[in-house]
Amino acid sequence: MLTIEQVMALIIFVAMFVFIIWDKIERQYVTLGAALLTIIITFGLCMRSPAAIMRSLNIQHFNEMSFWISKEGTETKTSGINWETIIFIAGMMIMVEKMGKAGFFKWLCMKIAKIVNYKPIPLLISFMVMSFCLAMFIDSITVILFLAAVTVELAQLLKLDPIPMILSEIFCANLGGSATMCGDPPNIIIGTSLHYSFRDFIQNTGIIAMVSLVVIIIYFLAVYHKELVHEKVTQEDINAMPEPREVIRSKKEFLISCIIFFLAVVLLVTHERTGLTVGFIGIIIAGLTLVTAGKDAKEILREVDYKTLLFFVGLFVVVSGLEETGTLKLLAKHIEEVSGGNIIIMVAIIIWVSGIASAVVDNIPFAATMIPVIRSLAATAGVDLSILAWALALGTDVGGSATPIGASANVVGTSVAIKNGYLITWGKYCKTSIPATIIVMTISMGIIIARYCL
Amino acid sequence: MGKQLIIAIGREFGSGGHEIGKILADKFGISFYDRNILDNMFEGMEKTQEVLKQYEEKTVNPFLSRRVRGHTNSLEENLAEMQFDFIKEKADSGESFVIIGRCAESVLANYENTIKVFIRGNQKNKIERVMKIYSLDEKEASNKIKRHDQSRAKYHNKYSIEKWGSSKGYDICMNSSCLGVEKTAEVIAEYVKKRKEIIGNS
Repeated sequence: MLTIEQVMALIIFVAMFVFIIWDKIERQYVTLGAALLTIIITFGLCMRSPAAIMRSLNIQHFNEMSFWISKEGTETKTSGINWETIIFIAGMMIMVEKMGKAGFFKWLCMKIAKIVNYKPIPLLISFMVMSFCLAMFIDSITVILFLAAVTVELAQLLKLDPIPMILSEIFCANLGGSATMCGDPPNIIIGTSLHYSFRDFIQNTGIIAMVSLVVIIIYFLAVYHKELVHEKVTQEDINAMPEPREVIRSKKEFLISCIIFFLAVVLLVTHERTGLTVGFIGIIIAGLTLVTAGKDAKEILREVDYKTLLFFVGLFVVVSGLEETGTLKLLAKHIEEVSGGNIIIMVAIIIWVSGIASAVVDNIPFAATMIPVIRSLAATAGVDLSILAWALALGTDVGGSATPIGASANVVGTSVAIKNGYLITWGKYCKTSIPATIIVMTISMGIIIARYCL
Repeated sequence: MGKQLIIAIGREFGSGGHEIGKILADKFGISFYDRNILDNMFEGMEKTQEVLKQYEEKTVNPFLSRRVRGHTNSLEENLAEMQFDFIKEKADSGESFVIIGRCAESVLANYENTIKVFIRGNQKNKIERVMKIYSLDEKEASNKIKRHDQSRAKYHNKYSIEKWGSSKGYDICMNSSCLGVEKTAEVIAEYVKKRKEIIGNS
């Protein structure tokens, strides 16, 4: 039997989800409104617990050393607003904004297209790999925004059909995001909440993502082989292509952007050794970008996607409502009962439920909700938390690729294509992406079970 | 012709608003945009034009679409936004035209050369007209009118401040059943001439 505070937390959570899907009110207002209701009704009126309110706001985390430096043995259990995730994402947004303005992404796309001599099949493969690699460090929305735009531009100049390339780029961006701690938002939340490092992710989800990438390249080549071999690019078309250097706005800005990006990658790869948290890295990167931007700093700050950051703030409070009231422990208990304590069944449930849920609803709230569930499940069933974490990360990241609304990159990619007259309907999208998603989720489940459960 | 003239016509299904628009375009010797707007937007892309016809003036299914940083995967919404841009581009270019539906009266609300018209009709006359044009029986015609009008209203109200068919959003609202299509067009033409005089003097 649920208690009154559990019922209230659940009602607020479900209502929030319904409003997010309904999409009539901007999602940051939905989560912030739901957060306010959680604080007033669940924590205030039902629980009468100012301490729960403080824990959910998590302001004290800024005063703790663990926000800035993570050292082994000083692990703290964080709940409530995950400021580390929010600040890291904000920092990366600032860096990426400057990189985009400097022409980095467009230059990279044009350069790679030139290297492969604009031939359709090498172009498809190289753009898939590029999408995967960029999404390992940069948010997939930005990756696809630039990649899809350049793909359409190239397609128009070379008279190719850009849809196969855009669909494969979207899939690879989501897959690349699953490879690292700083790729997809679910991974950032999982990593910061459960204290896993960049190396932990790359050695686990990273390896699975790379194996999947090889399979997926073969899959997309097989699916689009007919279309690709019929595409003929003439020397005249190639000669008409702009030079990559032409898209660079200013050499100095371009160089500074490259250096900051390189530094971000180094700091992230070595953060376990240096002890810097990703939140702190976000602050360093944002600070460097703004200082070097000079008078452009104001404009860069204006372009930051504050709506997404506010969405996260509200979301974390609502999820902490479920956590504080013990509702998520009930869900964990239910999963344990269904699986009979069998780790293989648990992994299968987490991967497929996360995957299917992420295909139809935003994967960020889903991942944020599932983290306390797997933490509780690991504690009560006595299984290794990391195995469940990798299953959750891969399920949410990869599952989101299945439909046009599963992940943000899918929405942006299809939108760019449609606006240029290349129509990607639900049918067209799902025809290739659902089988690809099932393939990768099967690979992920197989590797996790074979590597950790047998 | 003198100054630019834009006539934006909203209409109930079966009211003859489309035909009235054509008569006005011929009378004033100006371009006429209806579904052919797609041919202009996607020149040389016949397949795209054909597919997009299914998504024109349609509402978005909230369960099948999502919005991220101003982008949406919805074909209906993307098409609507692209059509609004196209209508504005045409208006900005100085071209005179008649435009049917597509929230044009709302999109061009701030363009002083735009005359906003709404055509409605009595249910009986609309059914008779739809039965004749589409070779339907009375019930089928009535259902078709209901379906189309509901869809148009939903589409319009999603993108416009004023409600579809509400007199607040238009300069002139007429019931085509009272005078018939041609005479209604004549009355509107007279109104347009008077407005043109005012536009020309301003």
